[in-house]
Amino acid sequence: MSWNDSMIKQAKKIIKMYPQKRSAIGPLLHLAQSKDGYISDDSTAVISELVGITEVQVKSVSTFYSMYKQEPTGKYLLSVCKSISCEINNSKEIIDVVKDFTGLNNNETDENDLFTFEAVECIGACGGAPAMQINYETVEGLSSENTIKLCEWLKKEQPDVIIAEEMQDNFGGTKSFDWAIKDQSGTTGSVPGFQTFNTTKEKK
Amino acid sequence: MSESIKINVNGNQIESAPNKLLIEACEDSGIHIPRFCWHKRLDPVGMCRMCLVEIETPRGKMLVPSCTTEVTDEMVVDTESEVVKKAQEGVLEFLLINHPLDCPICDKAGECPLQDQTMAYGPGESRFVEEKRHFEKPISISEIILLDRERCILCARCTRFSDEISGDPLIEFIQRGNKTEVNTFPNEPFKSYFSGNTVQICPVGALTSTSYRFKARPWDLKSVRSTCNGCPVGCSTELNSSQNKMLRILGIDNDSVNQGWLCDKGRYNFEYLNSEFRLKTPLKKLDNEFMETSIKEIYTELSDLISDSNTNINFLIGTNSTNEDYVAFNEFAKNFPSTNQTFYLNDDYLYAGFFEKGINRATIDDLNNSEAIVIWSEDLKENLPVLYLRVRQAVKNGAKLIVFGHSNSTLKDIADFYYSDDIVSENFEIIKDISKLKGIKEHVKDKNVTAIIGKSTPYQLDENLDKLVSYLVENSNSKIMNAFSSGNTFGAINNLDNVKNLRDFTKNVSAENTDLLFVVGSDPIGRSVFSNEIHRIIQDIDNVVCLDLFLHETSELGNYIIPTSSTLGEKEGTFTNIEFRTSRIDKLVPSPGQSLSDWEFISGLSNFCNFNNNIDSLDGLNELAYQDFDDQDSPSFKNLDKPSNFDGIINDYQPNISTELNENLTSKYFVGKKLYGDNITIRYSDSISLLGAKQFIEASESTIEKLNLSSGECTLKQNGHNVSANYVVNNKLADGVIFIPQNRRNFNRFDFSETIEISPNQSKEALNVN
Repeated sequence: MSWNDSMIKQAKKIIKMYPQKRSAIGPLLHLAQSKDGYISDDSTAVISELVGITEVQVKSVSTFYSMYKQEPTGKYLLSVCKSISCEINNSKEIIDVVKDFTGLNNNETDENDLFTFEAVECIGACGGAPAMQINYETVEGLSSENTIKLCEWLKKEQPDVIIAEEMQDNFGGTKSFDWAIKDQSGTTGSVPGFQTFNTTKEKK
Repeated sequence: MSESIKINVNGNQIESAPNKLLIEACEDSGIHIPRFCWHKRLDPVGMCRMCLVEIETPRGKMLVPSCTTEVTDEMVVDTESEVVKKAQEGVLEFLLINHPLDCPICDKAGECPLQDQTMAYGPGESRFVEEKRHFEKPISISEIILLDRERCILCARCTRFSDEISGDPLIEFIQRGNKTEVNTFPNEPFKSYFSGNTVQICPVGALTSTSYRFKARPWDLKSVRSTCNGCPVGCSTELNSSQNKMLRILGIDNDSVNQGWLCDKGRYNFEYLNSEFRLKTPLKKLDNEFMETSIKEIYTELSDLISDSNTNINFLIGTNSTNEDYVAFNEFAKNFPSTNQTFYLNDDYLYAGFFEKGINRATIDDLNNSEAIVIWSEDLKENLPVLYLRVRQAVKNGAKLIVFGHSNSTLKDIADFYYSDDIVSENFEIIKDISKLKGIKEHVKDKNVTAIIGKSTPYQLDENLDKLVSYLVENSNSKIMNAFSSGNTFGAINNLDNVKNLRDFTKNVSAENTDLLFVVGSDPIGRSVFSNEIHRIIQDIDNVVCLDLFLHETSELGNYIIPTSSTLGEKEGTFTNIEFRTSRIDKLVPSPGQSLSDWEFISGLSNFCNFNNNIDSLDGLNELAYQDFDDQDSPSFKNLDKPSNFDGIINDYQPNISTELNENLTSKYFVGKKLYGDNITIRYSDSISLLGAKQFIEASESTIEKLNLSSGECTLKQNGHNVSANYVVNNKLADGVIFIPQNRRNFNRFDFSETIEISPNQSKEALNVN
């Protein structure tokens, strides 16, 4: 098993929440993604063993949902919203700016494994459109200039921990409203209703 | 019979049982509804939408998939309306969007449901001008199966089969939408004993098998219905040949036996028929060299030998012959009083069994009707694979499964109670009071029980099974199925007067009491656990006549070798299965060279010796075999050739087994057979020959730790005989149990009743002196 004890412990805790073991595949895949940034074959094997089904059945689930990444991402995953509210508020420009800055097309990772760019469907920040996420941390009310600044900051500082509030203060604009779920780690977590699974590190 | 309901289909009243699926009810009444994903033996999913029909609802006519709609009383259905036709055209147009039109080079063409239904229901032309999606053409997903994902129409028949029926879901849908494909996990091949069935049920040419690929076109095939003689389940098969070469075996849906499925060994173990190593001419040994000779010369020499009725003759008979062959041997042996009509069957596992009056015999269908199934036998998955599928099916339908012993570890996952470790000892004895076990108390006592009973290993003592069976007979409404595991064992024990096993052979037969030994289609030296003793005995006997397909470790010791026809496709006859169901074995291809059927050889010899036997014709032998039965019930050729009897006829035989108790026989190891072994026929069947080649032992992780193994390889040593093997971790085995397969090359030379030293292999670097 390539997972350490604490992850196995977390996984077992998740599995216990369901009447059937295999129902836990979804959250377990999130746990795996929080570890590697994508679903590795190793993690798939571990999950299959934990819930007692074959590897390919786990893979079938993980490839069905496009938000389970099948390839490793760079250090920063830039997810720019392309859904309706953001599009009305000129997200196309934001997408172009990010594309220009990183030189990446959709779902590509740069040579240095620093940035991965993707244009995504609604990230639930319509009130503050246009918005994007860095490693699933949301920043709203973006302008082209601020987006470039944000990317430059990431490239220069390369912070280990991304915190939504910080980004919002430095680069964001109009904010939709206070995020509903108070979360110590600074994000709504990858699965609402569950504890977060280390998608971001604890706030220092 | 439950009451039936009436439905109206296309203006005609048809009757159907309630709760039936519409597609099935129509099919039963002769109305064909096109379909791809629906299969009688699989759960419906409604994926392909080809079976859309119109039914009348309170809200008007509606299109529904008939494979997921149950019939209701007075339902009004239209399967041929304009709307239905339009829907079918639409579905086919969609399916053909990505399906390559490479029918001219596709193996399925000619028997392809997609091709046929496009002709019958398709739109005629496509409006799709864009590029079709592309995948790498065919990828091999196991040693024997290839997958062409471009041709796949995503009906999920294969994935559902491997999940629902065989229980080894190693293929699944990967990705989503337009990118969906069937595939395996990387480096985790589709290693299933039943993978061939997915090829058979694939409605397009996406799944193909290495053995049949590009060999023939369906319209060139000659076919015949037969019975698989690989194990006593006796699956119904269709044999296909082209240009007198056997090319393919398909399963036939025999409701009471195999329900259309076959194991891969039954399906692919036929290529040896065309092997260049087949014996074609009779051979005679002169100065330790085989010389070609004529059958007449062998007859003459043998008849000289056996002219004296005091000649001591013994028979070592294989399990691959037909019932008629056995009758011929039995009649022939009557000329030699000294034989006592004794035949030694080439089987380590044969024992007296439970056939007495008062013990109810189980049929395979009884599994479905019983409240509990008790199993204590060899590994069903390895030795009676299709019976394993039927057990799985019964458990799915609600029967409780109680498994004893270490051998059926493959059933551990679905068993409600799995008694090993503290209940069954390493020597396969039950060490607890049976009546106090929870599963027995709750689910067996006073219930309808079907028990599958057989020796888990040749070393298991008979008395252990007695205990369990007598408890079942006394305390429950039980039916017993005797799980012997090789070929036509049940035909042999019915038609030979006095059958003993290989252990008895080693005890009773010697050069002193045998002038002439007939070895018929057996290679005990190659596969028996008593190999060494048998080798010694046969070597010393002066005259050994071998009837076989190949020269192998046993037949090489013969003085006279008679090439024989294979029971698979080269012979006519009958086969009796584990539930005493007798069905037809039929001939499709000619046998090579001067090969003879067993009975033909014996009949010829009998005539040369001027014996007055009535064994001159196959029909005569068939009549002789079933003379004790009423004409109507007897499985004579005449009866079996009636369509209503194609599935075989069950009869109440009283088998003749007279094995001696195997006292004083123990082994520290759990010795058993794996499905694929190093048998001579598998060795010469190219596409599966490597599957039985791996030499390995199995044990749980803790046992392996105790043996101090670490590198993945080990060496088995005994009396100067060394074999290097892998070890496989199987945590379903109880602690301390070490499984050693007996059907591996060079494993036959071990004496499993003695200690075998298992030591870690020296690492490769250490061995590599340079």
